[in-house]
Amino acid sequence: MSDLLAALVLVPLGAAVVTALLPARAAGRVGLVVALALGAGSVLLALEVGSSGVLEAALGDWSIPLGIGLRADGLSALMVLLTGVVGAFVSVYASGSAAARGGALFWPVWLVLWAGLNAVYLAADLFNTYVALELVGLGAVGLVALGGPAALAAALRYLFVAVLGSLAYLLGVGLVYAETATLDIATAGQRLEGGVVMVTALSLMTVGMALKTALFPLHAWLPPAHSGAPAAVSPLLSALVVKASFYVVVRLWFGLPGADGAMAVATLVGVLGAVGVVWAAVVALRQTHLKRMVAYSTVAQVGYLFLLLPLAVPGLAAPAGAAEADAARLAWSGVAALVVAHGLAKSAMFMSAGTLARAHGSDRLDDLHGAVTRMPAVAMTFALSGVCLAGLPPTLAFVGKWQLVQAALAAGQWWWVPVLLVGGLLTFAYTAAGLRAMFDEPQRADELVELRPVARRMVVAPLVLAVLAVALGLRSVELLALVEVGSVLGSLP
Amino acid sequence: MTVGLVLDLVLVTAVLVSAGLALFVPGRVASVMMFLVFGLVLAVVWARLGAPDVALAEAAIAAGVTGALLLDAVTERPRRGPDRRVGPRWLMPLLGAVAGAGLVVLLGAAALQAGPVEPGTGLGPTVLDRTDDSGVSHPVTAVLLAFRAYDTLLEVAVLTLAVVVVLSLHRDGRLETVPAPGAASPVPDALVRLAVPVIVLGAGWLLVAGSSRPGGAFQAGALLAGALILLRLGGIRLAVPTGRWLRPAVLVGLAAFLTLGYVTVALGQGWLVLAEPWQGTVILLLEAVLTVSIGACLAVLFVAGRRPAAGTGRGEEP
Amino acid sequence: MTDGDVFLLLGVGLAVLGTVRLVLTGDHLRRVVALNVAGSGVLMVLVAVAYRSNPEEPDSVLHALVLTGIVITVSVTGLALAMVRRVERDEQDRQASHE
Repeated sequence: MSDLLAALVLVPLGAAVVTALLPARAAGRVGLVVALALGAGSVLLALEVGSSGVLEAALGDWSIPLGIGLRADGLSALMVLLTGVVGAFVSVYASGSAAARGGALFWPVWLVLWAGLNAVYLAADLFNTYVALELVGLGAVGLVALGGPAALAAALRYLFVAVLGSLAYLLGVGLVYAETATLDIATAGQRLEGGVVMVTALSLMTVGMALKTALFPLHAWLPPAHSGAPAAVSPLLSALVVKASFYVVVRLWFGLPGADGAMAVATLVGVLGAVGVVWAAVVALRQTHLKRMVAYSTVAQVGYLFLLLPLAVPGLAAPAGAAEADAARLAWSGVAALVVAHGLAKSAMFMSAGTLARAHGSDRLDDLHGAVTRMPAVAMTFALSGVCLAGLPPTLAFVGKWQLVQAALAAGQWWWVPVLLVGGLLTFAYTAAGLRAMFDEPQRADELVELRPVARRMVVAPLVLAVLAVALGLRSVELLALVEVGSVLGSLP
Repeated sequence: MTVGLVLDLVLVTAVLVSAGLALFVPGRVASVMMFLVFGLVLAVVWARLGAPDVALAEAAIAAGVTGALLLDAVTERPRRGPDRRVGPRWLMPLLGAVAGAGLVVLLGAAALQAGPVEPGTGLGPTVLDRTDDSGVSHPVTAVLLAFRAYDTLLEVAVLTLAVVVVLSLHRDGRLETVPAPGAASPVPDALVRLAVPVIVLGAGWLLVAGSSRPGGAFQAGALLAGALILLRLGGIRLAVPTGRWLRPAVLVGLAAFLTLGYVTVALGQGWLVLAEPWQGTVILLLEAVLTVSIGACLAVLFVAGRRPAAGTGRGEEP
Repeated sequence: MTDGDVFLLLGVGLAVLGTVRLVLTGDHLRRVVALNVAGSGVLMVLVAVAYRSNPEEPDSVLHALVLTGIVITVSVTGLALAMVRRVERDEQDRQASHE
């Protein structure tokens, strides 16, 4: 079963090679079949980790730390699962229209990106994570570039940001290696004892990843890149790609020992996240274009995730009290729920925005009048995903935010609670602004543009995902039990 | 003051001056020229720090291929368009200088405190002990193609991906519309005839040498790319594939590496596990394929940067 | 301070210098140069760490990582330059069609 780990990386890479060699039509068929198979493989991994615990493999049979280890604990499995499910649905969506893909090279670039995402989630090695992150970065940039000349400047800016983030990360890896002479994350964690070097390395790597995750105020590259990308690309970027760099932050903070200065860094990161939640949501409210609004929403939602650091770091420091440990556990599972909820809801929202833009020939809010009556299923998808993002019960995001509120109270950091509430209200507000444009009926019938036909799967795929994001709130216990598998928090008091 | 110290001082000064000029000299052309100098000085630094493999790679890849890419770009547009400036003229440079100085102090202080681990512990000595098990006798090659072969596979994927994305900027993802220099070649014919065989020979030697001493597929591939680019600039169009053979040439390295993985799994050995008597041969064969593919990839990156003949639009999918 | 320390600091200096220039310049092509300088600085830190661990026999793992880093940097540079040239061509064509 441990052969599955490397397969989740090397099979999509091989499929990418095949789709790059085949003519467009055949490449599309192969791409779709492989995407569905990968989705199934991800479910298999999650079931396996959920039932029999952490999976590990050493590539080439070279013992760690000489060789490179792959490791799937609960968090890895959850991220691979999210990537698999969203990836499969977006692939179905992408197969519905050439314009949504942006070009014939969509399939190879997307499959390489998928391989890179799985590689990040399964890596147990600091340098392997760097190479995998480059695969993700270049893949994401390549997909944005498929958006044509208008998107190229945004793609270029994204490239500079992504590579700069990787360099900061690599410098941190250099410092860790100087201290420990190992690249294996677990071994490094055992050998490190904190101190100035460790805080510096952790800060460098966190800044690098925050840049790629678009943490406020390092977010300016995201809205043009995510909104300028083709319809099938934007959901991949917002739902999946930003999560990979956030995942690395989590791995580092939970895998390497904290130090005296770490809480200050964690608090700073939390404050930036909180400012981002409010600020980006306000900016989203003022947008005149739907995709741009959804992109700013991603900057806001990413802010919540970073609240994990200030809430969990006190619990990781030895000796932690029971209250701190409780806060850490609640924050951990709350953020995991938010990551999944945002992944499902944001991909559904971006896909529905893409479908609307395709049918109306524009994503300007003023051009979407009458969409509620003319494309009810798509408007409903948009509304449902907005409700999921805002965190209304019984959605998964509600479960996540509820746990974060409890974590904030347990940690004695009540000041995050208003951020969570205000952020939710603002999410409602911009979702409503988007919906209001779709509800507006034009005064004269001839103001309505003639709708271009869209493939049925471009309506159904996002709707199913949005419903899933609502329904998963009811089954959150099973889902969140998964992230406890192999977690360092299990050993806390 | 010893001779070694003086040499180090000269080297550090040379790095700082060439980097500073590459970054801050007015004008694109001068910047690129200074960057080429910087690359050559760096190669000396790597050799000084006991890293001959890195020195070779720097000379061939970073200074050679990157230099060719930058020079070609700057030749197309020696000047850039007008720039938008925020705030007064002196403000941003001042902020940059202050932030930069602060960062250097902070990071430098931390870096000086980092390690070093006790000699004899850590990964370095382990690699030296285990190199003989890998099928090659040069430790760096053992790390790249045995112990950390998975990293190298993903790295080949990064290079291949970069080429595929660049191709997506061209119509139908092919390069036939990029004109090759004809009779009015910028490179003298005699030079091409003389240089190319020498370069190709050098690439072959580097490839084979890599198993026992500094060298290997990446350095060899970069040299090969240099030869292919020279040939194309010398008027031999077919040197760099642009049509039907373009994608196979670019993808064959990654495909071969992946196939090796699939075969090892199918044989029940596990991903990328090489068996005892054959591993040296398999690694050399893989490196040979990688050399060709890396050479093709880098040469294609060069060609694909150039302006296509007519119409700049990308092809829509049928 | 040992000779290894000198090059370690030099690497940090190059990384910061390149990053600052990358952020401050508006010229895409010079950003690519700055990115390469910053990348070389980071790689120099790795090579210096290898040297400091044992000047007689530097750590070959780090040398292998630096080789990987160099190949990744040239891939990024090739892609970035192709995009820069395309963006500038498009700008030029737009200006030409305006006049």
